[in-house]
Amino acid sequence: MSTVPDAASRSLPLGLALGRSQIQEYALVGVVLLLLVAGAILEPGAFLTSDNMLNVLRQASVVGVLAIGMTFVIATSGIDLSVGSMVAAAAVAGGQFADSGSLAFILGALGMGILLGGINAGAIAYGRVVPFIATLAMFTMARGIALWMSDKTPISIFSLESVRWFGNGEVLGVPSAAVVFLAVTAIAWVLLNRTRYGRYVVAVGGNREAARIAGVNVPRIVFSVYVLSGICVAIAAILVSGRLSSASPIVGNLYELDAIAAVVIGGTALAGGRATIVGTFLGVITFALIFNLLTLMDLATEIQQVTKGLIILAAVLIQRRDR
Amino acid sequence: MSIKRLIVPLCAVLLALGVAACGGDDESGGTTAQTTAQGEGSAAGNAEGGGGRLKIAFSAPGADHGWMAAITENARKEADRLGDVELIASEGVTDSAAQADQIETLIAQKPDALVVLPNEGEALTPVAQKATAAGIPVINVDREFTTPGAYRTLITGDNYGIGWQAGNYFADQLKCRGNVVEIQGIAGISVTEDRSKGFRDAIKARCKTGIRIVASQPADFLPDKGLSVMENILQAQKSIDGVYTHDDDMAEGVVSAIENANRQDEMFLTGAGGSKAAMERIEEGGLYRATFLYNPVMSASAIRLARLVARGQGFEELAEPEVPSKITVPATTVTKDNVADVKDLGF
Repeated sequence: MSTVPDAASRSLPLGLALGRSQIQEYALVGVVLLLLVAGAILEPGAFLTSDNMLNVLRQASVVGVLAIGMTFVIATSGIDLSVGSMVAAAAVAGGQFADSGSLAFILGALGMGILLGGINAGAIAYGRVVPFIATLAMFTMARGIALWMSDKTPISIFSLESVRWFGNGEVLGVPSAAVVFLAVTAIAWVLLNRTRYGRYVVAVGGNREAARIAGVNVPRIVFSVYVLSGICVAIAAILVSGRLSSASPIVGNLYELDAIAAVVIGGTALAGGRATIVGTFLGVITFALIFNLLTLMDLATEIQQVTKGLIILAAVLIQRRDR
Repeated sequence: MSIKRLIVPLCAVLLALGVAACGGDDESGGTTAQTTAQGEGSAAGNAEGGGGRLKIAFSAPGADHGWMAAITENARKEADRLGDVELIASEGVTDSAAQADQIETLIAQKPDALVVLPNEGEALTPVAQKATAAGIPVINVDREFTTPGAYRTLITGDNYGIGWQAGNYFADQLKCRGNVVEIQGIAGISVTEDRSKGFRDAIKARCKTGIRIVASQPADFLPDKGLSVMENILQAQKSIDGVYTHDDDMAEGVVSAIENANRQDEMFLTGAGGSKAAMERIEEGGLYRATFLYNPVMSASAIRLARLVARGQGFEELAEPEVPSKITVPATTVTKDNVADVKDLGF
């Protein structure tokens, strides 16, 4: 069971029930299968190979980790527009310690991710700033921090073997970035579906007042999801820097849109109160497959853009019909 | 004919840059730079007699990219170096409407000249016309205003030239046979279209159909996008001989994709722009074989042009008494053979 019931009409969802999002997940599995079949027909030699599928997983991992964090944020009826810029800031913060080894890089990235996520969290949970505005402010601030700290040029981390392993290494033939993504997904699934914390997150998004009356510390829950998003940002920053062998201040452009789109297409309600990790995972995979297939086919940009839009629309419509 | 007309001003600009680069190496030499600047002024015959300080306004989009960052930085540095120029700069916006507002504010401060790199040439043409109408000469950098009357002088890089030189380089390297991948910039902007067209034209002119462009995809000048796009192309294309990328920063990601796939011995790659990192890689040798200059030092030249125009002076090297109305900076091919000569221009 990977769903949390719709809390909008209830005071506190304590049991698990067959929610709408679960149907959406099944429908998304259909979309993914359709894409796989279409790809196998259109690009017989290159698409449905284990090499390319692992490639898709590796590519999905960076935005995937962000989307997992975003799922918690959106579950509380929030939004985080700053994740893309924060990835750049966290990467560059890690890059400041490039001379001191991989662990220092990772701690630097984590520190920046948690700090910036914490600023978002404080402004939203205790400063009562609307999430859209607070994270929009961070969206521009974090990019500025990244450019300023890096002196506007990428920092080479070619010597950091461990960081590069996260980007390009393998565990039993599976790209390590994909392993990290799968691990984050699994942990998030347990956190959302099997802990009291997860229930509280969804409850806060469903009906804030009811959650407060039921004894949930609402500001603390809201605070926590933006910090969580910051931690996911740091992980994504480590992965993308490892993949590029450098910490670049211009990475992460528009990742927030990709992450939000994956979460929403997966079935998590933008209004909050309903969240699904499996749906988000499938949403991320859907987008990665579309990007991969369209590039493999070497379609002209304008045709790619129209096609991508059509597939997104179709995917959502298929889910609607199943309801 | 047009090339001929451009050669003289080009030489003049490059000469001036060469002098500036040689003279301005040490930061502590502020006073020296100042005297040099004054010396130049009197040598060229000062139209305003005293040659007081000039107020030059500068506007460019936000530095969301290494190249754009270098544009603003070079303009500031040049103004400092000249000594008799007060630069009022505004930057940081990323949309055309906001930049138009910024320029209006700059015009209100009545500068002696206005240097603009517009976010979009077309959208910012009206505000440039407004400045011109107010008697402020406009120096247009890189992206051209759509009405020639909107600027006094245009200085731009040669995007078509980048493509053309790259195409010739590929024709030479591949001896007109092979599979080529093109990683483009942002689809639908003139920079990308020109770099692409020049490349295709040159390859067709030199090799007819001998070189095949097996994949051509945009990666928006971004390294992470370049990485993902190239990873996918590597899946589809089992035999690639060369990769033509539209930008050095973006090429970093493309290089990572090729090296991660361990296919760096199969192909070579070229960039564009002229970043320091790219030049270092070219010096090392290997996958990264060449880049084609599109140098942000042109903003420093623009400040110099603004100063000359505001003072009513021209280039000493030209017979004409005034600054030319259009200057195109050449897209020099940088390879291992000449990288040492241009490395100082890297950004």
